[in-house]
Amino acid sequence: MNLTERTQKFFTGNLTLEDALPTQMPAYVNSFVYLFGVSALSALGLLVLTGFIMALFGPNWYHLTRVGRFFNSLHFWSVQFFFFALVSHLVTKYLTASWRDGRWKTWMLGLLAFGAAVLTGLTGFLSQSNWDSQWIAVQAKDAMNSLGVGALFNAMNYTQVLTLHIFFLPVILSAVVLIHLYFIRSEGSVKPIRRGE
Amino acid sequence: MSRRSEAYFHGIPMRPYDLIREGLIVFGVITILVIIFAAIFSSPDYPTVRGEDVAKRQPIAFTKTSVSFLSGDSGISTYGPPYTRDFDDAQKVLGIAPAKWFGVTIPLNPPVDFVIKPLERVSVFDKGVAAALKTYKAASPKQQLNWASAYFKVLDKATFVNGQVKVPNGNYGPVPTMAAGMLNLGRAGLLEGALQSDARLPYQLNFTKSLLFFQDDVDHSVANSLNLLGEQWGLSNETGNYPGAWWLWPYAFWYQIPAIASSPNGDLIVGLIMLAIFLVIFFVPFIPVLNGLLPRGLQVYKWVWRDWYHRGRPAVAERERKAG
Repeated sequence: MNLTERTQKFFTGNLTLEDALPTQMPAYVNSFVYLFGVSALSALGLLVLTGFIMALFGPNWYHLTRVGRFFNSLHFWSVQFFFFALVSHLVTKYLTASWRDGRWKTWMLGLLAFGAAVLTGLTGFLSQSNWDSQWIAVQAKDAMNSLGVGALFNAMNYTQVLTLHIFFLPVILSAVVLIHLYFIRSEGSVKPIRRGE
Repeated sequence: MSRRSEAYFHGIPMRPYDLIREGLIVFGVITILVIIFAAIFSSPDYPTVRGEDVAKRQPIAFTKTSVSFLSGDSGISTYGPPYTRDFDDAQKVLGIAPAKWFGVTIPLNPPVDFVIKPLERVSVFDKGVAAALKTYKAASPKQQLNWASAYFKVLDKATFVNGQVKVPNGNYGPVPTMAAGMLNLGRAGLLEGALQSDARLPYQLNFTKSLLFFQDDVDHSVANSLNLLGEQWGLSNETGNYPGAWWLWPYAFWYQIPAIASSPNGDLIVGLIMLAIFLVIFFVPFIPVLNGLLPRGLQVYKWVWRDWYHRGRPAVAERERKAG
C-alpha cells in the first residue's frame, strides 16, 4: 500500500487545486448572499489576529493602555461582524435548502461551528475581567450547573475560562470550519431549487 | 476539477471567478468596517464590583451579605451540587436532575468559606474579632444559627452611623462583631484575597469564592440598574449602548415567560428547550416539512437565484455581461 499514492487519489477524486482555488463558478452563484460565508471567515480571521495580539500583551494591556483598549475594541467589533455574517449565512443557507444533493454534512458541520462559536463567545465575555464577566459568570454558572456541565466547566474559574477562550475553543472552531470548507470546495455550491421540486 | 465536481456540474454554464481576489476584497471591507466601529464607538469596559466598593458605598448591604452565609439565607447556602450536598435543591425536569450526575465537585461550606476563614485572618490583628470568633465557634450549631438569623432579620432596620452598623437591641451573640470584622476587611480592600484562602498565593488562579460572595442582592442590584437581569433580556445585553450577545436572543426569550423565569427549575427548562432546538436545526436535512416545504414556501430562494431562473432575458444577459 502506497500511502502517497492513496492520498493523491483521494485529492484527485475529491479536491483538486481547481476545486480548492476555483477560477470559475457555476453561473447560478450570483448573489450577495454567497458573501456571508466569506464575511464570517474574514471576521474570524480578524478575531484570531486581534486575539493573538491581546494574548501576547495580556489583560492589563488591553484594559489600561490606549493601544490595548483599541485592540480590545477591534476584537469586540470583530465579534459583532462575525456573528452577523454567521447568522446571515445560516439563515440564507436554510432558506435555499442548501443541504440538498447530499450536502447534509456541510450543513451539520456549519451548525457545529456555530455551536463552537457561541461557546467561544461565552468564554470571551467571561474573559473580559470586568463587570460583564463578573455578572455573566454568576449567571452562566446556574445554566451550566443545571445541565450538569458545571462539574467540568466552572464559569468563575478565570484561568480555565481564559485558556478555553484563547486556545482550546478557537482550535476546535477552526478545525470544524476547515472541514466545513473542505466539503464546500469539494462538493461545490448546491444547484438552485428546480421549479416543482 | 475533481471527478465529483465534474459529474455534479455537468451541463451547468460556468462563469469566470477569482476566489482569492474575492476573499481579499471581503477581508479588506470587513477590516475597514471593524476599524471604523472600534475608533468611533470603542468598547464596553464597566469596572468590576469589588468588596471595597460595596463596603464603602453600601455597608449595610455588605453586612447583610456577610451574615447571610451564617444564617443560611444566601443563594449558595442550600444551592446543591456542584457546591453543597443539598441534592434535593438541584434543578430537575421530570425527576431528572443532571446537576446530580457528577456530585459535589466544588465543595463549599458557606459559613466557613465565606466568613469564618476570612475572619481567622482578621483575628490575627483584631482581638475583638478573635474573641467573637472564639465565642461563636464554642456555641452549638443551633445557637449559632439563632444569633445569625436574628441579626440577619434585624438588618432590615439597620442604620449606618459614625462608620458603624446600628440595629435595635437583641440577642445576636458575637455575630455583630464578626460582621463588623468582615466590613473592615472589605473596607481595607482585602476581602477577595482573604476569600481565596486556599489559593496558591500569591497566585490567584480561581475566583469562584470572590465572585459568589456578592452574587445575590448586590450583583442583582447593579445588574438591575444596568438592564442586565434575565427578565430584562440581560443574557444578551451588554453594559451601555453596545450590542451584546444578540445571537442569544432565542435563549433570552424563554426567560421572558413568567412561568419559566420564576420556576426553580427555569435554567434547566430553558437549557433543555435550547438543546432540543439545536438538535432540530442540526438534523433539519432529515426532518420532513422543515427540510423542504418551509424553505420552498418562504420563496426566498426565488429571489436569490432570480437571474438563474430568468436567464436568457435581455436584462439578465446584460447584468451577466457586465459582471464578466
